[in-house]
Amino acid sequence: MLMPEPDQHVIDRRDEICSALRKLVPAACVVDSTESMRAFDADGLSAYRQLPLAVVLPETVEQIAAVMKWCHQNEIKLVPRGAGTSLSGGALPLADAVLLGLGKFNRIHEIDYDNRCVVAQPGVTNLAITHAVQADGFYYAPDPSSQIACSVGGNVAENSGGVHCLKYGLTTNNLLGIEIVTMEGEILRFGGKHLDAGDYDLMGIMTGSEGLLGVVSEVTLRILQKPATARALLVGFDDTGAAGTAVGDVIAAGIIPAGMEMMDGLAINAAEDFANAGYPREAAALLIIELDGPAVEVDALIERVETILRAAGATSVRVSQSEEERNLFWAGRKSAFPAVGRISPDYLCMDGTIPRRRLPDMMRRMAALSQQYGLRVANVFHAGDGNLHPLILFDANVPGELERAEDFGADILKSCVEMGGVLTGEHGVGVEKRDLMTIQFTEDDLKQQQRLKCAFDSGHLLNPGKVFPHLHRCAELGRLHVHKGKMPHPDLPRF
Amino acid sequence: MTDVIAASLADVKDAVESAIAAEHRLEVRGTGSKSNLGRACDFDATLDVSQMAGIVDYQPEELVMTLRAGTPMDVVENALADARQMLAFEPPRMGRISGGPRSELHGTIGGVVAANLSGPRRLTAGATRDYLLGFEAISGRGELFKSGGRVMKNVTGYDLSKLMCGSFGTLAVMDEITLKTLPAPETSQSLLVACADFRVAIKTIAQIFATPHEPGAAAILPQAIAAEEKVDTGGAFTAIIRLEGIAASVSDRVANLQTMTGGETIAAPASESLWQRIRDVQPLAEKPHDLWKVSCAPSDAPRVVAALDSLVGVRFMADWAGGLLWFGASRSRDLGNRLRAVVAELDSGFAMLVRDVAVTRDEIAPFQPLPSPLFELHKRVKASFDPRGVLNYGRMHSGI
Repeated sequence: MLMPEPDQHVIDRRDEICSALRKLVPAACVVDSTESMRAFDADGLSAYRQLPLAVVLPETVEQIAAVMKWCHQNEIKLVPRGAGTSLSGGALPLADAVLLGLGKFNRIHEIDYDNRCVVAQPGVTNLAITHAVQADGFYYAPDPSSQIACSVGGNVAENSGGVHCLKYGLTTNNLLGIEIVTMEGEILRFGGKHLDAGDYDLMGIMTGSEGLLGVVSEVTLRILQKPATARALLVGFDDTGAAGTAVGDVIAAGIIPAGMEMMDGLAINAAEDFANAGYPREAAALLIIELDGPAVEVDALIERVETILRAAGATSVRVSQSEEERNLFWAGRKSAFPAVGRISPDYLCMDGTIPRRRLPDMMRRMAALSQQYGLRVANVFHAGDGNLHPLILFDANVPGELERAEDFGADILKSCVEMGGVLTGEHGVGVEKRDLMTIQFTEDDLKQQQRLKCAFDSGHLLNPGKVFPHLHRCAELGRLHVHKGKMPHPDLPRF
Repeated sequence: MTDVIAASLADVKDAVESAIAAEHRLEVRGTGSKSNLGRACDFDATLDVSQMAGIVDYQPEELVMTLRAGTPMDVVENALADARQMLAFEPPRMGRISGGPRSELHGTIGGVVAANLSGPRRLTAGATRDYLLGFEAISGRGELFKSGGRVMKNVTGYDLSKLMCGSFGTLAVMDEITLKTLPAPETSQSLLVACADFRVAIKTIAQIFATPHEPGAAAILPQAIAAEEKVDTGGAFTAIIRLEGIAASVSDRVANLQTMTGGETIAAPASESLWQRIRDVQPLAEKPHDLWKVSCAPSDAPRVVAALDSLVGVRFMADWAGGLLWFGASRSRDLGNRLRAVVAELDSGFAMLVRDVAVTRDEIAPFQPLPSPLFELHKRVKASFDPRGVLNYGRMHSGI
């Protein structure tokens, strides 16, 4: 992975930069020893590591603003970092960039039941929001699998999802307001406790912008009343295509389950070895379907879903009879990644989305690619919304296997786009899928996105080298071609 | 340059390029059902996109519909109804809110998206912006670009769909768009709760939302309007709570909430027509009044309403659990100024002039003015799509 060429002049000024930063934040908040910076050299995409120029851990929003303003004035690049759980390298440091860690922003400012929202600092973990309100019957819906560790500010940057987003949406659908600090050090608020801003939806643009537009310094999250009950079905199929069709049948019947997950044979057995959840080992595909809501509704819908699944050719159906059993059904799915980690020295976790009806084609394509590359693949899907998580098994100690696994992964993502889908459903582009962006987008598509970046960060100082395969100077992007005559006002400054 | 009727994005590209070359500005329009929303644009020619119509691909079991932005809303709604699905954000019919000659206009899906118009279910199901999955468009630079996709879960690149929603055509002209659809509820009922005053109504709704009985929409009508709508409970205010779902679930939840609040219920047909009237703000829009809407935190709503206490002749109603306030007055200049002032004192919210009958859009800005750093950022965002100000220039704010 090629990152932007580090600027040696900046690296040479490291001591000077660190002492300038120490004037903006308490001295202990600047970390610059190699040893201490080691903890920040990678995020969840741990195949890539890089020590930053320095780490700054501010304690107030004003300090964030001061650091960013100083970096802007001195043309120093900046990489923001929440909890460092990104799976796509969004928080990968750069040798000539200051790493801005938001870890100290771990306080919940306000729990507001009248308006059903929580105002929190960006470093609060996703799960801590639910913990703060669950005694009163509320919860925060987005539940990425890293929810115990990932921060809500990072959730905004990555527009994180989870297993329940089929019914409850991604982060962007559960966010009411944000405060951000721009690269120039300006503190801005988008949205708030009201709905729909009435101007450009800059909160919507910030969500999922992977730390390229601004640093999130506060979030206002919508909280929901916890459903009265939840029950799950564990359903085996002897064919993945039939399982995929069954998922469509459930939705076509007007039922939106809280979650609909699918696993293939290899994933089923790895998970069963790990969690003893009672999964049908002989099945080619397993569905976990969860329904939540008022008890009478859940009971009625479980019956309807069971009928649909049997008609679709299910080979086994189990319905959870207790909360304990429902959690057991999920235990295997939730441990699928570590379980696969046990059957292979290394694995790559991919994340593409396809139109759900293309699932059988995709399964065939993956089987063929698996043969071609000589690597096994285990499949875990958020089946309800067509989001695939193929896990490519390899051994990094075997020369060339990492590269082969990466090529295999790239081919899967290319297939996703070919089938009408997209490169990433929830993990983000980061550095991991950066160079594949041209498969999904034309040059003009990407230029328009980068022009928007210029509206926020004209010097390309914030998180450069992520998301976009080619960096264009803002002045170049702003150039306007006039096809039908002369460029008007040639003397006007160009954006 | 002369007015253009576009049949394709190639036509749009041509029109935008011609406008750039001639230093002209364009007003983008569908059927004109929302032409009184926002400021009057500064334009030399109109770009009519209503011919760019038709459903391209609709897969109910995939929960996605791809269609052209000029598709009339009645066509969209009929196709959804045939598959027992809906646009969950319940877009109002802006023509009925506008009234007068526009009241029979259904509008286009592109107009709904451009105005980010959402109805009562917005409170729990989200806004238009939560359902636009992707689009392709011509920018104000005359360039074809796309964003998002045709799948439900996608974080590839910036989410420009969000920006298109509520941008009032100031950034780009869309053709194909993809929306997420959802199954329509099998049935619905409403609960009517008598409340002694507005504050009590807000509090009652908050208490209902702190139960697991899944209320889907919540409006508040003052007694005079409740009486006109034949839902007078005898309280100074009536809180109206809508519950949707399968029949067994709806009756069970309504029964639970009835026990809790002592309210009365109305069944599906009456409930549906009442909510359609609330969605289209009919209790206020049927009078020849200026209309304002305020979006605020529900708990701030009593303060907004109290600020108008001494103003006579103001009718109001609330939706979104109090988070959306509608006001009507025969001459609303004082009303508008007061709403702007009280909203500016709140932590968050905005006041918008939705219909001008007596006041004109020239004398009072329809959109809440933006504080300076935000205005500057808006200008830069506008310039990144439309550096020459070709598209709907000034529709939202002067200079954007």
